[in-house]
Amino acid sequence: MTKYRVSHTTTYRYGEPVTVSHNVLHLAPANTPRQRVESFTLDITPAPAVQHTRADYFGNRVDCFTVQDQHHQLIVRAESVLDVEPAFALDAHVTGAWEQMRDHLHHPQGDDEVLASEYRFDSPMVPTGPEYAAYAAESFTPGRALLDAALDLVHRINTGFVYDQKATMVTTTVPEVFVKRRGVCQDFAHFGIACLRSLGLAARYVSGYLETQPPPGQPKLVGVDASHAWMSLWCPGIGWIGLDPTNDCLASDRHLIVAVGRDFTDISPTKGVILGGGTHEVHAVVDVSRI
Amino acid sequence: MVIRQGVHDARLTLARQPLTCQLVMDAPGDLDLVNAPAVAGAYDELRDRAQVRPQWQTLNDYLRRLGARGMGLRYEQARRLIRENGVTYNVYGDAHGLDRPWQLDPLPLMLSAAEWDGLARGIAQRARLVETVIADAYGTQRLLKEGGLDPALLFAHPAFLRACHGIQPPGGRWLHFYAADLVRGTDGAWRVLADRTQAPAGAGYALENRIVLSRALSDGYRQCGVQRLAGFFIAMRRTLSVLASRLKTRQDNPRIVLLTPGPYNETYFEHAYLARYLGYTLVEGGDLTVRDDQVFLKTLGGLHRVDVILRRLDDDFCDPLELRNDSTLGVAGLAAAARAGNVVIANALGSGIGENAALMPSLPRLCRLLFNEDLTLPAVETLWGGDAAGRLRERFDDLVIRPAFGSVRAPARRGGELDGEERERMLMRLNTLPHTLVGQVAQAPSITPVWSEGTFATRSLVLRVFAVASDDGGYCVMPGGLARIANENQPWAVSFQRGGGSKDTWVLADGPVAPVTLLRPSGAPVEFKRGGSDLPSRVADNLYWLGRYGARAEDAARVLRAALTRLAGDQEVGTDQGLQTALRVLKHQGVLSKPASDSATLEAQLLDLLFSEAISFSLRSVVGRLHYAAFSSRDRLSYDTWRIINHLDQDLSPDVKPERAIDALPLLDRLVLDLAAFAGMTTENTTRGPGWRFLDLGRRLERATFTAELVRGALVPRVDETALDAVLEIADSAITYRARYLLSLQVPPVVDLLLCDSTNPRSMAFQFERIADHVAALPRAPQALPTPAERLALGAYTWVRLVDPQELSREDETGERSHLAHVLDHLSSDLTLLSDTVTTQYLSHATTTRQPSVGPE
Repeated sequence: MTKYRVSHTTTYRYGEPVTVSHNVLHLAPANTPRQRVESFTLDITPAPAVQHTRADYFGNRVDCFTVQDQHHQLIVRAESVLDVEPAFALDAHVTGAWEQMRDHLHHPQGDDEVLASEYRFDSPMVPTGPEYAAYAAESFTPGRALLDAALDLVHRINTGFVYDQKATMVTTTVPEVFVKRRGVCQDFAHFGIACLRSLGLAARYVSGYLETQPPPGQPKLVGVDASHAWMSLWCPGIGWIGLDPTNDCLASDRHLIVAVGRDFTDISPTKGVILGGGTHEVHAVVDVSRI
Repeated sequence: MVIRQGVHDARLTLARQPLTCQLVMDAPGDLDLVNAPAVAGAYDELRDRAQVRPQWQTLNDYLRRLGARGMGLRYEQARRLIRENGVTYNVYGDAHGLDRPWQLDPLPLMLSAAEWDGLARGIAQRARLVETVIADAYGTQRLLKEGGLDPALLFAHPAFLRACHGIQPPGGRWLHFYAADLVRGTDGAWRVLADRTQAPAGAGYALENRIVLSRALSDGYRQCGVQRLAGFFIAMRRTLSVLASRLKTRQDNPRIVLLTPGPYNETYFEHAYLARYLGYTLVEGGDLTVRDDQVFLKTLGGLHRVDVILRRLDDDFCDPLELRNDSTLGVAGLAAAARAGNVVIANALGSGIGENAALMPSLPRLCRLLFNEDLTLPAVETLWGGDAAGRLRERFDDLVIRPAFGSVRAPARRGGELDGEERERMLMRLNTLPHTLVGQVAQAPSITPVWSEGTFATRSLVLRVFAVASDDGGYCVMPGGLARIANENQPWAVSFQRGGGSKDTWVLADGPVAPVTLLRPSGAPVEFKRGGSDLPSRVADNLYWLGRYGARAEDAARVLRAALTRLAGDQEVGTDQGLQTALRVLKHQGVLSKPASDSATLEAQLLDLLFSEAISFSLRSVVGRLHYAAFSSRDRLSYDTWRIINHLDQDLSPDVKPERAIDALPLLDRLVLDLAAFAGMTTENTTRGPGWRFLDLGRRLERATFTAELVRGALVPRVDETALDAVLEIADSAITYRARYLLSLQVPPVVDLLLCDSTNPRSMAFQFERIADHVAALPRAPQALPTPAERLALGAYTWVRLVDPQELSREDETGERSHLAHVLDHLSSDLTLLSDTVTTQYLSHATTTRQPSVGPE
């Protein structure tokens, strides 16, 4: 078991005063079978007039707040301490043939599977289409084991696309990424999800953090001082399996989960609407450390 | 999209004064419905085996008495009512850039009481069923988990708003308004083509159709004994008030607003019309704000809490924070306010999932499962690719292929009618994403007589019916509906966007018709009200600019008239001092910087200043902006005011642009009169609330600014009597001057009359006096000291009253009146400052923007 401390600070500065600021945060790490949140604190300046915590549709914790005092700067500091268990070793070949898994999902049995089937369909930032199905088909050859094929797809994205922080923005669409073959973790996750869904499989978007400083003897991972994103695939009989196309691997105990959704728009770490503000800038600092 | 204009709506008073021009003539006998052309292969609404059906007989007797000529007159009258009432429907991308006048056929669709009763029960049952499905989707999702419903029907629907899951709308009501498009098949049974659950349009047009037709065919309408529509709207008001009274934040007089996407929307006319009819405030998203999870209306007097939002904005646009974040039409935080249970939103956010063709095949089964009843009003036969892809493929060419979810605007064409590439694409889609398509049996709609070019013709028809949630948990169905008829050339495509027409629907009463009306509520004690409340700042802004543009147009018309009159005379351009004076004013205003010295070029320049849309300060452009400001506050303007505004637009239509100055003069005379009528109408017929104050404030500020420019441009150089004459003519003060000074034209008395004399309604002193009065009366925080706007207005007023006109008019050593120039420049800059001060204090809105966001890397 590994214990982590994560701090995530977002600072907004405005050229003109903001009179009202409504915000929705997905910053609190999730409690999962392998991940337990020991503490989470949220510190907002100036102090909000309204603040709630609730669970969203996807089961994530959401913190909503409204600042109603005039301000020129807004700082949101989130700090969490959490324990993560190592992932179970998975044999990629034990999962059934991918077509069988797909057909299974089209007639979902039980609440979990019904809910998983939600992630088969188009979502605001992830379209499906024959072009993505065709890209995925090279990995998803007839009869191939589901996870084996998926890992091959992840490998092809990792090697076929260039990690480039300048190439895309948070709003970049999947077709654009497919043409450019460049982007960051969000783009690779969205593209991978588009491929899997276009085959009729269920895949969701995972937002979280990555321990980037490697423990001795392990490679340094990409994704410095920022939040991270990857995807997760539904394997009937097993459940959700995390896949990280940016690092060409299964999600490990160095991937700390915050929220899951259909794509970035469902679980953007911070989003808000402000009245006033003029020109504005934003700056985020993330620090993940073992303790 | 095109900016639309249209008119407003207080037709209700008309309905109370049925037309009295009874036609006194013998039955001409040249009209009989039985002669309307028949069409084979479709159900005939009118006839059963060549016999007129019983529900049409009274109407037919009436038409036979009326004759073709009488009917023609009635039709013209109906069209005139629609034109003058400005009933419009905005057609997206219409090249004309004008509203499309509403098309109403003067022959109603007739339905018997017995048939209607069955149909109404079916509509209510279907609305209840669809509401139950919506509630389940946003609640426990029991239907999905227990196999009642294929999960794809919900999960693949783009209108399923995850952020709204778990919200419990007040009273458990999700679907306050339901509409359905019905067609009648050859077997005589009505079937549903589409369910409308988002923000159904059309009930207001149905009401407007009824008001127009019951007036145009008043005697026939009475003879037939037609069920009234008002009960439906009474139920609507009752339901919304009852739900408001159950809010935990309830207030004694619940505030209900109608949320519109704005004047660009295709059915904006209807939004303004319904808001006025129901007595609700018409608001746009920018007029509302959320504080402490409650919704407030931003008014001049501050924030007022809102209890109910009747929304005509699609739900995904309603909240840029939690729903579509690119929406500029919504209210940030609205979903949170709904979640907190502090506001009734009708229909509830998320109700759009009821518009789901793929759900149609499952409804009969769900009706038995949920209600243990048979579904009495089924849809036309529909196959969903999600569970019937094979059959859909087999019958592909005969079925109308449509997207399963969303876009009901998509053209409805049979698979066999698709061109090769489109057909391939759809077939491919059916293989890869079968759940996104449905196929519907192409049902031939029933046919009904219409009035066309002086005789009867026959068209296909689709009937839109409406239901409103009643306070007993069920639905109240409007007895009637909006019948839509196909365009002659496109019998299959019954659509307003593609230019079809509409009909009123007369459901006959079983017995005597009880007079029900929203206009004269009986019994209930009425709380008296005075003055205007709830004036949104945005509306005040529009009224302020309406006042400014009205005065600006009038002043511009007067200057141009003065110039063109003199140009049409026989003097040389260079020697006519009157003409030169008018040109100096235009030059000083920056409107015409280089007037030509030859008369032909100058004439063209001046005509351009009248008509050119490319010149932003041309009279045509100013009237265009006036029209838009009026259009955006149309729910606040009287019917007659609208008629004048429509006239103004017609006065300057490009079709009437003359070639010569002399031909433009009658047009300018008419325009000046119409603008005076507009000013008079707003003076005489507007309640003295804050709205009127802003309208008049705009007018006065504009007039004061113009008068300063006029005197500054015209009277600073040394001038002769012809020039003074032109100035007095432009300022409409010639008669007063002559009465006082007879023929002696001199500068100081002219300056006195135009600047200092507060008894002259064209003088600057008069304007400043009114401005000071208005700014003192505007809402403000209680305080002893005058506001900056008051200081400016009072300062300027006092100054123009006290100044000595003789002294002001003195020429300096170069022969110019530099003192006058200096003073007028100072007053002009005070006026600009005054306008900015008022605008900043009352009218400016900080814009809402998205918080910048940082993505993962």
